[in-house]
Amino acid sequence: MTDLLVMTQIAGRRCALHASDVQSVIEVGTITPVPGTPGFITGLTALRSQALTVIDCRHALGFDTIEWSTDTRAAVVRIAGHSYALIVDSIEDITSSVTEPEQVAGGFGPEWSAVATGMIETAIGPALMLDLEALIAGPEGKCGEFGAAA
Amino acid sequence: MDDLLADFVAETREMLEASEGEIIAWEADPADTSRLDSIFRFVHTVKGNCGFFDFPRLANLSHAAEDALADVRAGRRNPDSAMVSAVLAIIDRIAEMVDAIEAGEEFSADGDEVLIAALNASSELGAEPVTAPTTTSPDNTSIEDDADQSSAARKSDTAITAQRTIRLPVDLLDRVMSGVSDMVLARNDLAHRLRQAGTQPTIDGPFERLTTILSDVRDAITRMRMQRIETLFGALPRLVRDLSADLGKQVTIDLEGGDVELDREMIEMVRDPLTHIIRNSIDHGIEAPEDRKMAGKSETGVVSIAARQSGNKISIVITDDGRGLDEERIVAKAISKNIITREQSEVMSREERLQLVFEPGLSTAEQVSSVSGRGVGLDVVRDNLEKVGGSIKVTSTPGHGSLFYLQIPLTLAIIAGLTVEVGEQRFAIPQSYVEEVVHLGAGAVEYTKVGETALVTFRDRRTPCLSLAHVLGIEPARPDDDATLVLLRLASGDLFALAVDGIHNLSDLVVKPLPRSIMKTELYGGSTLLDDGQPILVLDMPQIALNCGLVSETRSTGGRRGDSVAGADAKDVARAMLFTDYAGRRSAIRLELVQRIETISADLIEETAGAARAVIDGVILPLIGLPDGMLPAGRIRLLRLTDGASELLHAVRDIDDAVELSDALKPVSDDPLVEALTLVDGKTVTLIDGHELFARHGEAPDVTDKPVCHLPDSEWARTILGPLVSAAGYEPAIGGTASPGDIAIAFEDEPDETLDAANVSQIIRLRDQPDAADGDGSIYRYDRDSLIAALQTAKRSARAGGTH
Repeated sequence: MTDLLVMTQIAGRRCALHASDVQSVIEVGTITPVPGTPGFITGLTALRSQALTVIDCRHALGFDTIEWSTDTRAAVVRIAGHSYALIVDSIEDITSSVTEPEQVAGGFGPEWSAVATGMIETAIGPALMLDLEALIAGPEGKCGEFGAAA
Repeated sequence: MDDLLADFVAETREMLEASEGEIIAWEADPADTSRLDSIFRFVHTVKGNCGFFDFPRLANLSHAAEDALADVRAGRRNPDSAMVSAVLAIIDRIAEMVDAIEAGEEFSADGDEVLIAALNASSELGAEPVTAPTTTSPDNTSIEDDADQSSAARKSDTAITAQRTIRLPVDLLDRVMSGVSDMVLARNDLAHRLRQAGTQPTIDGPFERLTTILSDVRDAITRMRMQRIETLFGALPRLVRDLSADLGKQVTIDLEGGDVELDREMIEMVRDPLTHIIRNSIDHGIEAPEDRKMAGKSETGVVSIAARQSGNKISIVITDDGRGLDEERIVAKAISKNIITREQSEVMSREERLQLVFEPGLSTAEQVSSVSGRGVGLDVVRDNLEKVGGSIKVTSTPGHGSLFYLQIPLTLAIIAGLTVEVGEQRFAIPQSYVEEVVHLGAGAVEYTKVGETALVTFRDRRTPCLSLAHVLGIEPARPDDDATLVLLRLASGDLFALAVDGIHNLSDLVVKPLPRSIMKTELYGGSTLLDDGQPILVLDMPQIALNCGLVSETRSTGGRRGDSVAGADAKDVARAMLFTDYAGRRSAIRLELVQRIETISADLIEETAGAARAVIDGVILPLIGLPDGMLPAGRIRLLRLTDGASELLHAVRDIDDAVELSDALKPVSDDPLVEALTLVDGKTVTLIDGHELFARHGEAPDVTDKPVCHLPDSEWARTILGPLVSAAGYEPAIGGTASPGDIAIAFEDEPDETLDAANVSQIIRLRDQPDAADGDGSIYRYDRDSLIAALQTAKRSARAGGTH
């Protein structure tokens, strides 16, 4: 099976998202902060008349945010009826997958294992296939309900 | 699943819902073949469609039901309760199968034959025919004659009312809706640019037209999301039938107002509360048939549900004629559960005591039954309603039944909201909670800190005060004692103040849901977009209050029904709002006229040919009291006055306080706008003549839903009283039944029975003689002023009651 994938860089690693999950790629405008939420929720931004929840992916994985610079563009995904803008280091390309996601002996490291469905071979090399639901749940969510599923 | 199959499932469901009510009605009156027709049509259509899709079991079931029903229609068979139950069981099975088909699951075949056999068994046994309760004659032919006539009449009815409809995916509707919202934003942007470019007649005309069209389209789109409340009512007859059968009670249901339209999401929100209350009424309210007979009531209890739209609220009234709520037991239980103390219970009115049923942990049923005692109580019902900005109240007459009064906003999606600012950020608060806005610097309120808790003293009541900046954990731009306070009253009656840096404007907000990760903060109820397209968050006030422990605190002060107390005072001594106008004159205006104090920015004021107007809450109102010449810059404080029918604004330089007019009023003859001079704290104050003010400047805003006033049935009432009553903003009604919230005017000697006194909230009595014994409360029939005053008081108290 070959799938179209959106290739991104998150915290210096190449990650893949299903192209069918990504609705669009936008330039992020003004962000309204949301006080009281965990740090990985950067805030809300407007896409036409829709409010998007902006997620900082590096933070959501549990990495420090200053280490990598980010793209001004974000990938818009829709999960469980809500739209999110994912802030990543950069959005690289759209390519097709060569294999199904598979596990690698030894895992991907604690931060990555929680959000990755596996490693996937693509036309431009191997990448981590991300589980969006686990990603937007943030660092706390992953240890709980999503940890079991991953 | 292919489209065809999806259509089949959807169509079957729709017909199922439509025919449920019919089935119950048919059971109650088996002679009514027009009911039969719709059920017959349902099974027939299912059978036909099954052939198409190859569902042999569905086909068998519907075929069996169709056969039985055809026999009844042809008069070969009398419908009995066993048969009705068998048909119902088959229809239930069809519904389950359709669910399974949609989910793509296998459905166990067990029991199909039993169901079909039950249908035939009842016919073979030839069980006693059930005669219609309304028709005592067992004579078949006469029944059918009647039925033929009525069914013919009904058929023509349905032909007229049938509307052509199409089925659309919800996604498409939402897309259209968000497209229109985008268009509104683009229009706002364009308007902004046009203003910058200056007046250009060639562009302004078409632009105005665009604006009008856009607002029309927006209204239409909003209506597309509406659904008749009928869809909710459809399932209730079945619920009542099944429940009463389980409990061995006899209950009929009476539905009214099914054509009221409600936002689709709202209908889902109301479904559970409504079901819960009906369960409660049947389980605890309605007595067993023997008990009812002993109490001198008809053996069959009645649960009636009426929906009505009033303004931007929908009210649903659920009444039963059961035994009513046991006040003593509720209080005893509340005390034993430490919800209130014995001392508190002694000062509570009956009405307040009854509201205790909505407290968590209070279920009055002695035994938890399988029907209503499922761990979720009325407290959950109230919480759920409050979550969507609604409210619930209960009244009850021992031995005669109880009445639950639900109020819900018309739509979840659009609410009137107040935008507040704290730190650098803006947030929205649903306007339904906002009682008043006060600026702390003005000295009208006293701000104190007791320990870490802030308290404000407002109108002689200590009210807890939350700092929004503190709640959200951000830095406020102003110190605490320079903040603006928003006084909020929750649906439960709890009052508290919220300190913010500033207030922006009131506007209609389109509220969108938030993802779970943001909802988890328990601070926000949704998000909305400002006119410039920037998203802001809508605060979840009840939840914030709950998290800060405010809900129980204010409740325990025992003064939560503050309005009724204030209303009683007002009757004894005239009260007035004291202020300084722009001419520097200390003036007062009767407090009854003052609706609210508003602060608006000067650019919302428009001056034309000597008359000024201002826009508040989207309504243009006349504005008086502005200084001559230049408008004062910045923000202007206004008194919003109302005589019940029309509204106007009075600009003031400074607002002092509400005072009692205890000193003598000295009439003034040279200025018609001045009613009198009086002394307040030893200083002269000009009391403004409200009558003259409204006669000159008053303007009726768009009248929405007028309250109803019932009049005695006489020529005098029709020709003389009627016009007076409608001038006072009431809809005069002669005859007909009263619904809650209506008032009535009656002659002194008229007995209560003629006016449905149980329902009307207030009765104004008229007497024929100018002089009467003191204190009987009646009004001489030609005393115009007193009569109007009484009508306005009734209206205000109704309005105050409605906003809770």
